[in-house]
Amino acid sequence: MGLLVLIPVSALLVIVQTAVLPFFELLDGRADLVLLLVVAWALTGRLLQSMVLGLVAGMLLDLLSGVPLGVSAIALIAAANVATLAQGRVWRAHQFAALGAVLLATTVYYAILGLVVLLIHPGTDISLALARIVLPAALLNLLLAIPAAQLVGSLERTLYPPKVAL
Amino acid sequence: MPRFSPRLLLTASLLLLALSVLILSQAGYLRPAEGLVLRPLVALQGVIGPRLAALRDLASSPGDVATLRARNVELEAEVTRLQQEVITLREQAAEVDVLAALLNFARGAPQNRYVAARVIGSDASPFLRALWIDAGTNAGVARGMPVVNQSGLVGRIIEVYPTASRVSLITDPAEAVNVRLQDSRADGVTSAQPNGELRVDMIDQDAEVVPGELVLTSGLGGNYPPQIPVGQVISVRRRDFEVFQQAVVTPSVDFDDLEILLIVASFTPLTTQPGQ
Repeated sequence: MGLLVLIPVSALLVIVQTAVLPFFELLDGRADLVLLLVVAWALTGRLLQSMVLGLVAGMLLDLLSGVPLGVSAIALIAAANVATLAQGRVWRAHQFAALGAVLLATTVYYAILGLVVLLIHPGTDISLALARIVLPAALLNLLLAIPAAQLVGSLERTLYPPKVAL
Repeated sequence: MPRFSPRLLLTASLLLLALSVLILSQAGYLRPAEGLVLRPLVALQGVIGPRLAALRDLASSPGDVATLRARNVELEAEVTRLQQEVITLREQAAEVDVLAALLNFARGAPQNRYVAARVIGSDASPFLRALWIDAGTNAGVARGMPVVNQSGLVGRIIEVYPTASRVSLITDPAEAVNVRLQDSRADGVTSAQPNGELRVDMIDQDAEVVPGELVLTSGLGGNYPPQIPVGQVISVRRRDFEVFQQAVVTPSVDFDDLEILLIVASFTPLTTQPGQ
């Protein structure tokens, strides 16, 4: 049920990310809406769904980019895993736990993407890419982390209302 | 046999799946499937993208307005500059027309030597019909020299300074020009009225003067060279009891539109006054 809703939502976010976010860049970095969705959904405790979502949404992202198909999927699956590593120990203990999760996920996500880009284009200036793309993107992701977590949390509660014992 | 956590297994499976997709894609096996998925995605992007971009434009419009205003100011300044340039060029084009006409006029009498001068002002007195030009003794201009333009006779030099001269127009009441009517061959003398109207007096009663006849300088008296157009007869007043008949003439020169004049420098007027 959750994936039936999340996959169209992720498709929509993929389009927004490719059609609109390029106009809202910070330096050359832009917010990763799909990553935020995957991480936020993982933080609700539905890791399996978030990883499947990462797989599907990552492929959609790759279809609209020059990255080989599957790379973003791998990066998103890894990001979802990393984001939930400390689940139950740290993240749920604090209101701003999503910030840490998103920061970790963004780091892993860009590490994988960066590695692939280096393999495809060996001459890429890593320090420049870090300064102009990764760090601004991380900042934007952090800014959107809490609103994203709250929105996705609301969606999760709507799709999976808590069971009430009578 | 070691026990793997479900999470690890799941992650590994999904990563393996993604890796498989990556390899298959790189090998080109997924090309048809990619096209199949991409088609609706791109169609959706085509629908949503422009609308979201329009919303973005709306949101960013205040900034755009400021930019547009600044650009508008720049363009207005540019328009003003270009308008000034157009005015200058039009003036130059008009001047070229005048000079070409003057050149044609000068070619008509190649025996004459001309000095070109620009009109720099009119006489300060409203009662005198005279002009100031920017050529004087330094340019070889002398008192009494006739002044013409491409249409005909303008007047004569009455005051000369090193760099400027004063030209008395033939429409000045003090001026009198000996003229000849081209067809009737009758001689006469112009007399200007205070309102600028030009008349030819002293026309013989026997002369058959008709409206439309050309009036040229006759050269009599030695003040002006002959054959310079002065005007055209528009009406004739002939009374039997008068000795002479009179013609009203419209000057061939438009005295309200004088810019560049030619001084006939090769012409030396005759004078009866000693010392001049």
